[in-house]
Amino acid sequence: MDELELLKKDWQKQDEYFTKKCSEDIYNMLQKKSSSIVKMLFYISIGELIFWSIINSIPLFSSQDYNNKMNAIYENVNILNWLTFISFGIIILFVYLLFKAHKSILVTDNAKKLMESILKTRKIIKYYVAYNLVFAFLCMVIGLFYTSQNDPKIAAKLEGSKDTELVVISAIAFITTAAFVTAIWLFYKLLYGILTKRLNNNYNELKKLEI
Amino acid sequence: MNKELEHSFVKLLEEHQNIVHKVCRLYTNNQDAHNDLFQEITIQLWKAYPKFRGDSKFSTWMYRVGLNTAITLYRKSKRNIKTQDYDGVQFKIKTEEYDDTEEQQLKLLYKAVHQLNDIEKALVFLYLEDKNYKEISETLGISEVNARVKMNRVKKKLKTILNP
Repeated sequence: MDELELLKKDWQKQDEYFTKKCSEDIYNMLQKKSSSIVKMLFYISIGELIFWSIINSIPLFSSQDYNNKMNAIYENVNILNWLTFISFGIIILFVYLLFKAHKSILVTDNAKKLMESILKTRKIIKYYVAYNLVFAFLCMVIGLFYTSQNDPKIAAKLEGSKDTELVVISAIAFITTAAFVTAIWLFYKLLYGILTKRLNNNYNELKKLEI
Repeated sequence: MNKELEHSFVKLLEEHQNIVHKVCRLYTNNQDAHNDLFQEITIQLWKAYPKFRGDSKFSTWMYRVGLNTAITLYRKSKRNIKTQDYDGVQFKIKTEEYDDTEEQQLKLLYKAVHQLNDIEKALVFLYLEDKNYKEISETLGISEVNARVKMNRVKKKLKTILNP
C-alpha cells in the first residue's frame, strides 16, 4: 500500500483525539494580539518612519545661533532647509507606498500571492532604509566639504596642511563615513534576513516549481 | 466588530476547529507550539472573517487561511524547539484494534512528514484532506501540473526517508 494512503487512513480518524477548544477559549483568543510577520514588518516600518523623521527634523528644532552658524558655513544657500523639505516629501511618499503595500496583504490570497505581497512590503522598507543611508552619506560628504571650506577654525588648520595631508584627511573622512553607513546597512540586512528567512525559503520553493 | 458577527464566527470555528488542529499538528511538534499556532490562525481567521462572503464553504476558506498562516505569517515559536515530539502513537494508542506493525509504520510516517519542508507539508496536508489537484493548485498559487509533479516528488522523498 502507498505510504500516504496508509497515513490518510489514520489522518482522517484523528479528529476525536484533539483537545477541543470551547467557545470561551475561542473568545479569549480573539482578544489576543497577532504576532505574525506582517505585524512585525508593520511595527518596523512605523519605527523607521519615526526614527528618520526625527533625524530629519533636527535642523528645524535647533537654536537660532546654531542655524546662523550653519548658514554661515553653507554660505546662506539654505542647503539644509532644502534637504529637509525634500526628505519630508520623500517620507510622505514612502508612507503612502507602505500604506498601499500593507493594504494589499490579504491572508485569503493564495500562498504565492500572499508571499509576494509581503516581500513587496519588505522591499519598500528596504528601499526606504537605502534611501536614508544614501541621503545621510551625501549630507555628511556635503557637510564635510562646506565645513572644510567655510568653518574659520577648520579652514585655518587645513590651510597650513600639505597637499598629501589633505588627501589623507579627506580619505579618512570619506572612508569613516562609508564604513558607518555600510555598518548600518549590514545591521538592517541581518535584521530582515533573520525575520524573512523562512518566508524567502518558502517563496523560493514555490518559485522553483514554476521552472 | 459587532457581537453578532463575533458570535457567528466563534460558532463556526468551534464546529470546524479540527481543520485548524490538523494544520497545527503538521507544522508544530509539541502541544505548546500547537496552541500558539492555533491562536495565530484563529486571529487571522477573525481578521479576515468580515470579508468572508460565503462564496466558498467556510471550511474551504479555513484551509487557505490556516495554511497561509502556518507557512507564511507565523513566526516559529521558540517552543517549537522543545524535543517532546508528536508521533502517531498518541492518537492510535487509544484505539481498540491495535496493530503493532502498522503502528510502527505510522509512527515512522509521521516523523518522515515532519522532516519535509513547509511547502511539501502543505501539499501532503491537502492530499491527506482529500483535496483534488485543482484545489491544491489554487490554494498554493501554482499550476495543477506542477502540483501533481511536486506531489509525486514528495511521495518519492517520503519513500527515501523511510527506506534510506
